[in-house]
Amino acid sequence: MEEVIGKIWDRWVTRQVASDYSGASVRLADLQAELTLYYHALGGAPGKTLEPADTRRVRLRRTGMQRVAGTHQRFALPWQDERSVRLPPSLAVFPSARLNTALYYWQVAMAAYLPQVHNWFADNQQTVLALIGHYPGLGRQYRELAETLLTLRPPAEDLPDDLQRRERAVAEALRNPGALADLPFARFDCFPVWLWSYPPPVTLHCVPEASDDSSTERDPGQRSPRQTRLEQRKQAQRIDDEHETDGLLVFLPDSLMSWTEQINLDRCQDDDGDGDLDQVASDLDLITVSSRRKATAAKVKFDLDLPAAENDELCLGPGIRLPEWHFKQGRLRPDVCLLQPLLTDDAEPVSLPPHLAGTADEVKQQFSRLGLQRTRLRGQPDGQELDLDAWLDDYSRPVKDTTRQNFFLDRRQHHRDFGCLILADLSLSTEGYVSDDCQVIDVIRDSLMVLAEGLDRIQDEFAIYGFSSVRSNHVRYQLMKNFGEPYSDRVRGRIARIKPGFYTRMGAAIRQSTRILDMQPQAHRVLLLVSDGKPNDLDQYEGRYGIEDTRQAVIEAQRQGITPYCVTVDEQGHDYLPYLFGRDGFAVVRDPAQLPGVLPRIYLNLSTH
Amino acid sequence: MNTCTHYQVQNDECEIFQYAVQHRLPVLIKGPTGCGKTRFIEHMAQQLGRPLYTVSCHDDLTAADLLGRHLVGPEGTYWQDGPLTRAAREGGICYLDEIIEARKDTTVALHSLSDHRRTVHLERTGETVIAHDDFMLVISYNPSYQNMVKGLKPSTRQRFVAMSFDYPEPSVEASIVSHEAGIDEATAGQLVKLATDIRRLTDIDLKAAVSTRLLIYAGKMLSSGCPARKACLYCLIEPLTDEPSTLEPLIRLVDAHF
Ligand SMILES: Nc1ncnc2c1ncn2[C@@H]1O[C@H](COP(=O)(O)OP(=O)(O)OP(=O)(O)O)[C@@H](O)[C@H]1O
Ligand SMILES: [Mg+2]
Repeated sequence: MEEVIGKIWDRWVTRQVASDYSGASVRLADLQAELTLYYHALGGAPGKTLEPADTRRVRLRRTGMQRVAGTHQRFALPWQDERSVRLPPSLAVFPSARLNTALYYWQVAMAAYLPQVHNWFADNQQTVLALIGHYPGLGRQYRELAETLLTLRPPAEDLPDDLQRRERAVAEALRNPGALADLPFARFDCFPVWLWSYPPPVTLHCVPEASDDSSTERDPGQRSPRQTRLEQRKQAQRIDDEHETDGLLVFLPDSLMSWTEQINLDRCQDDDGDGDLDQVASDLDLITVSSRRKATAAKVKFDLDLPAAENDELCLGPGIRLPEWHFKQGRLRPDVCLLQPLLTDDAEPVSLPPHLAGTADEVKQQFSRLGLQRTRLRGQPDGQELDLDAWLDDYSRPVKDTTRQNFFLDRRQHHRDFGCLILADLSLSTEGYVSDDCQVIDVIRDSLMVLAEGLDRIQDEFAIYGFSSVRSNHVRYQLMKNFGEPYSDRVRGRIARIKPGFYTRMGAAIRQSTRILDMQPQAHRVLLLVSDGKPNDLDQYEGRYGIEDTRQAVIEAQRQGITPYCVTVDEQGHDYLPYLFGRDGFAVVRDPAQLPGVLPRIYLNLSTH
Repeated sequence: MNTCTHYQVQNDECEIFQYAVQHRLPVLIKGPTGCGKTRFIEHMAQQLGRPLYTVSCHDDLTAADLLGRHLVGPEGTYWQDGPLTRAAREGGICYLDEIIEARKDTTVALHSLSDHRRTVHLERTGETVIAHDDFMLVISYNPSYQNMVKGLKPSTRQRFVAMSFDYPEPSVEASIVSHEAGIDEATAGQLVKLATDIRRLTDIDLKAAVSTRLLIYAGKMLSSGCPARKACLYCLIEPLTDEPSTLEPLIRLVDAHF
């Protein structure tokens, strides 16, 4: 009996509390690719992708029951910034999956038409108006969603006066977008309006002084002027992190934590001006650094210093200045990057590792078969087929020349005229594991060796470089083989020595590779980028800036008549690579372990037609 | 060919073409598929009252296919002019569609006809044909195909007045679709808006763009009562992609518009 009552009670509580329909839940991860495409079709910024939103606190006036159950404090609301569009990781607002899916599409449409929310109440209504005006079908969909949503919202009459007025205004605005200009004041937020976009969230963040040792206690009285300014701006909506941990702990595995610290430390020293400060604020919103970070800080040790001089690589020259694309300014800023060519000059020569022998043999065979591809030559003295045209021409000649009987079609091997620069991403992320005993870097190393075997076999000219970066002033460009050099054990030795480190400033590496390829005489030149993720770096290169710069570098290469092509092991590659390299400019290899066998095949497809 | 081909002027293309005609300059037209290149040339040929010889190029096209060859007849062999030679001899527009598909050694045959010489030498008969005053050479290609191996030689390219075509701007395209498909301007306008959205994905998520031609197909289906969703799905979406993850959002896009 007790048990039954307990169950009933439980169900009753949950019903009272739950304001969503978990049975009809739809996940962002399942719709991501479709939604991204939809977003871009509707004119959303091409460089932006979709990401799951973190939860944020909404100051709701909770019912006693909700307070008992501890729900209704944090919601993953849709919003966006320069970097990406954030959508709830799942939606269960409506009782049917069909409507929840439709809601995702609607939110994406809103995101495309409302990139920045200034006045939440007015902007959302105007955007709804614009959308339903432009898209009659979407207008019908909106009305269905809005009407259903209105039946699901907390009844206004249960609310205190001020909130009641606010809720009624929201309801009216949903029903008749554009009808109301101002949102009535209330002490609490109203329940999330899932059809609308939200401004970026703001949270407390602790930006340490540049000189600050991260393990020492920070004195709140001694804030930098900048920090104070920032915090004043945000004060009104600050989250008191001492009491709130939800959404935080889930989101901070150790590796990410170290990264956060890194950003944090680094941003402080950044003197890129105010624009960057805002960036700090929004980045930290994503990876909220709690004020209790000093507890974890001891664990976090990230070496900011560049490798000491006694390390492997020999610096070749003082470094090369390269420009970088600033998408907001819409121009190339000259000499922003310093690229340092490096050579592992003490690498021992090695022969092909035994575990690659099988794959390498197969690849060499494939490449040799390519050598058999032939073109048809007409009017030849010898060949496999008769050339009827040639014979007729001769036949109709008034005076025949018996010494010139070129009546055959011959299939002959044609001269390949290819130059390929392989550019390998050696950033720290390649430290990730592909399987228990194999890292991404191992796969990249093997792939380079195997492809080199094939290229060497068909005698295509090629060069191999690797890259990583620590901000714009240290782009590491590692030489493994240059165009002039024959493929040898020495080259293999250098490939064998690559190891993961630092970040991915793709634009600079692509630009330098383009310069090198540009000096090559071949008719067809390929820049083959082997990568494992998006462009990123410690500064603003993370996010849209890096995407746009990389895209620009790719376009510059194409203008030089070079064919850039990207092969990635990043499963999310489909989200951003089409924008960077074009629809036909990339391949995503889902199983990284297959890369050594697949990469040469990709090259073959690219270079034959 | 019907007696009067409807052609809606998009820009200053007719003027430019007329200047080229006046000075007997060859013309290169580039633009994506189904944007009206062929229609434009047909229209201009009619305007000028000249015959039009169209050749669709492919990679097995030889110089002989353009210039001519010996054939066997009842009385032995005889020479047959190819379309290019014929146009040069008798006067007319020779239009080589998708010239990029032809091999480079074939396009070289065009060189002497496309510069000041305006002659073509037929090696096989030993004849040199001097082009008729009304002869004009027009070639076209679609620059969106990216292929490392194919391309037009600079020395070929630089013999032509080059004109770039694109899908007409929305109001013009809507009136073309409306006229060609026989549907009202409002429906045609919505089709064009849909096309504008889908075209944002070209080269990024889609290989090809929705062409005016496909819009006309969809419009024709609509005009005879086919529901918008189906007409757009079969005429605009399915021709563009085979991937289910691309189909779904595009269908949603159609639903948003209709
Ligand atoms: N300006 C225009 N005026 C009238 N009709 C047009 C115009 N532009 C396009 N069209 C219509 O679009 C259709 C496709 O055009 P057309 O065949 O000329 O394309 P194209 O550029 O030659 O394509 P492709 O490269 O595939 O050969 C035509 O049949 C015509 O109905
Ligand atoms: Mg055509």
